[in-house]
Amino acid sequence: MSAKANSNKRPFSRRKFLRRTAVVLGGSIVAGFLGCSPTRRYLAQTVERMDFPAIISSMKPDFWFQVLSDNSILFKSPKIEMGQNVITGLAMLAAEELEIPLERIKVEHASTSSGIIDSLGTGGSNSTLALYIPVREVAATMREMLKTAAADQWGVALSSVSAKDGVLSSGGKTMTYAEIAESTTEWKTPKTPKLKPSSAFKYVGKTVKRIDLQEKVMGTALYTIDHGRNGLLHAITLECPYLNGKIKSIDTTEAAKMPDVVKVIQEDDLVAVVAINRYAAEMAVRKIKVEWDIPKAWQQKEIIELVTVGKGRRVNVQDKGSARSILSNSKAKVFEQAYRTPMAAHAQMETYGTLAHIENDEASIVIGTQAAGMVQGQLASALGIKKDKVDVQTPYLGGGFGRKMGRNNATQAARISKIVGAPVKLIPTREQEFQNSVYRPNTHHVLKAVFDEQGELEAISHDQATPDMVMKDLGGNFALSMFGADWLSAGHGASILYPVKNRSTSIWNVEVPYPSGIWRSVGIFANTFAIESFVNELAHHTKQDPLEMRLKLLQGGDELNQRMIKVLETLKDKTDWGTKSKAGVGRSVAICNDRKTIAAAAIEVSIVDGAIKVLKVTEVIDCGIAINPGGIQQQVEGAIMMGISAALYEEITIADGKIAASNYHEYPLATLNDVPEIQVTILENAPEPFGIGEPPLGPVAPAIAGALLDLTGKALRSLPFRLDEG
Amino acid sequence: MKIDFSINKKPVSIDVDPEMPLLWVVRDELHLKATKFGCGKAMCGACTLHVDGEVYRSCSLPVQYAAGKEVTTLEGLSTETQIHPIQQAWIEEEVPQCGYCQPGFMMAAAKLIQEIPNPSDEDIKSNISNICRCGTHPRIIKAIKRAAVIQQASKI
Ligand code: FES
Ligand code: FES
Repeated sequence: MSAKANSNKRPFSRRKFLRRTAVVLGGSIVAGFLGCSPTRRYLAQTVERMDFPAIISSMKPDFWFQVLSDNSILFKSPKIEMGQNVITGLAMLAAEELEIPLERIKVEHASTSSGIIDSLGTGGSNSTLALYIPVREVAATMREMLKTAAADQWGVALSSVSAKDGVLSSGGKTMTYAEIAESTTEWKTPKTPKLKPSSAFKYVGKTVKRIDLQEKVMGTALYTIDHGRNGLLHAITLECPYLNGKIKSIDTTEAAKMPDVVKVIQEDDLVAVVAINRYAAEMAVRKIKVEWDIPKAWQQKEIIELVTVGKGRRVNVQDKGSARSILSNSKAKVFEQAYRTPMAAHAQMETYGTLAHIENDEASIVIGTQAAGMVQGQLASALGIKKDKVDVQTPYLGGGFGRKMGRNNATQAARISKIVGAPVKLIPTREQEFQNSVYRPNTHHVLKAVFDEQGELEAISHDQATPDMVMKDLGGNFALSMFGADWLSAGHGASILYPVKNRSTSIWNVEVPYPSGIWRSVGIFANTFAIESFVNELAHHTKQDPLEMRLKLLQGGDELNQRMIKVLETLKDKTDWGTKSKAGVGRSVAICNDRKTIAAAAIEVSIVDGAIKVLKVTEVIDCGIAINPGGIQQQVEGAIMMGISAALYEEITIADGKIAASNYHEYPLATLNDVPEIQVTILENAPEPFGIGEPPLGPVAPAIAGALLDLTGKALRSLPFRLDEG
Repeated sequence: MKIDFSINKKPVSIDVDPEMPLLWVVRDELHLKATKFGCGKAMCGACTLHVDGEVYRSCSLPVQYAAGKEVTTLEGLSTETQIHPIQQAWIEEEVPQCGYCQPGFMMAAAKLIQEIPNPSDEDIKSNISNICRCGTHPRIIKAIKRAAVIQQASKI
């Protein structure tokens, strides 16, 4: 039975909630101001330090929670589970205020027709922070509603009713949550109750096993591909493997004759085979004869050339002191290096597909997306129907990493379903997932530094050339030209954190012919690689220990710098930094700040049979309040493996106008063979829970580069690392 | 063409194109969804299952090869009364993240501890080439070793 709140009751906690939500690029910003660079810099700096809010369509508790008849509570999570374990943390927070054991909370994703959808989607490691207060406020309100209903029914004072372990009691009377929910028709929504102090937390801070663990081990967890409908048909689209290619000529006669094929669709840019099973659709689509019109056969060299500092539009995002003039007029020798990161694929194990059923101008969609709200809007406009006629259900995601924020095939699936008048499942092949996707863009970085006569770092500058990651998706070309460059995502982490007196950072916005998007840790990946590799080189160049040099550089800095010092000091302890590393082993460190989470890694490498081998990774992470330490440990391990993978193996290249990799054999990832010894330490030096899914990825690649520099004396400045690089 | 085989100890008879990969037969004809599609080219291992006790990547195994044989998917690993040591260890080590690769890994691991009852890290690394994008690898290694211990204890 659901607890039905009276919908015209006052929406609670509006003010407090809005305080946390009203900021993102607020509509009141006047476009005319944006063109001038101080405004852009101000915005860039503000956003870089801002908490990312959740934008949620409702704060009514019955949208979030439902009391079920077995006296458990169903929590409809506005944030989706893609492996990052967000639902466990949110359920723990809810349990604190609901006064019900965690085991009695069931979690499912909210859908657009049931529960609250976060219109910003799930990503950027912000979910737990954004919902840290709201989820508890809603839970507390729900508990008070249950208590009030019991008080009314019993005719006792509300203050005499207590709630514990899913049971309400007053004097000798008791009733379960389920019983009161069953027998109440009129609900009163109270003012937002005061939240428990953190000292009274029962779950927060203790390791709790993932809520989805059992399902994922027993094989009952469902993903998009596992969903079905009566009369379901299977479709495969024909996708052009060439960047921006179009059909020149096409012949589908043979495909239409293949067994079990229901229909071959050819309607402007949509070409698809629909069959009664997946195999038939796959076989038939191969029979389509097509010639492509390729506007330009791009080559890798050109793509690299395009993304180069000095090209495109420059936006200065950090300017402290007078770094630029010091660097250009210095009599002392300026230390300068350039770095590159390649394009990369998300390569998540589940390809990004859709199940769509369009019937009577209503759309029922199943899609494992990071952004259900956006998919809903996309389909409403594609189909020309109202948003409330589009229901988007989100099952578990077989990995996201930013891919499932980007382009999807939901519109294609919906069009196909409409044409054939049946539910249709459209799951991309792995080849399509590689070649018709969204990519982490390649970047180029130039760093310069100069020391004063005392040997102190006097000035430092960073220039990053990068394509856009999200600006175009959020606000089209207009937003990008107004903001100048994508400092929000691609440029995230580009600014120099060390409190050097003179420091300056610019982002150069460049255009590329491929779709670029966010990839786990967003700009942190590329920028941390460049900046921290440079810092390691500075240390090497001046014969300093890389960890000690950082500690020195961070002296006298702000609060964030103080937290960074603590993280590095801890790293020093955990690694026995004082003792020399063994012969044949190189080691180094790197650190980053990703929206207030600080992550640092010390890494040991060696060279085995001519190949780079990561032996040991010690990572220290300060994420403020650690809600579920075991879950954090798991995320850090995953980020370390992904960091090793990106540093040693991953690169998307373009050849003859195509993405060269078509499947995993051409895009190798780290495997069991790459597992190093891993040690993770969690610090809690801030009063709020910051993100943990992405930050620990940042320091991995630059710490490996530093360790190789330590071992071989040679700096590798582009990813993935190749020992024979010139 | 009619093809008979047994799936998780139950006999089945299906009528599909004999070239259809066993993966799609198991998933869409027999409605057992644990076995996953990842790459379709025998490269990722998400579709790993057992045929007559041997490990196969079912995306690349035409169903006709299963004729007359015993197919086991993740759904058939544990019995009603006994959880398989691999699944038990997977829970204790809390291995999965997104979970999508996990059925394939567990099927490969179940075979491994049968062949090598006390595997070293090296045995594990050189015998399982499945892909996991979430980076659960360190826990997979730990869980397999734990499963080996559970298996041994249950045999005594
Ligand atoms: S789906 Fe079979 S190995 Fe990848
Ligand atoms: S758990 Fe996500 S791919 Fe392995």
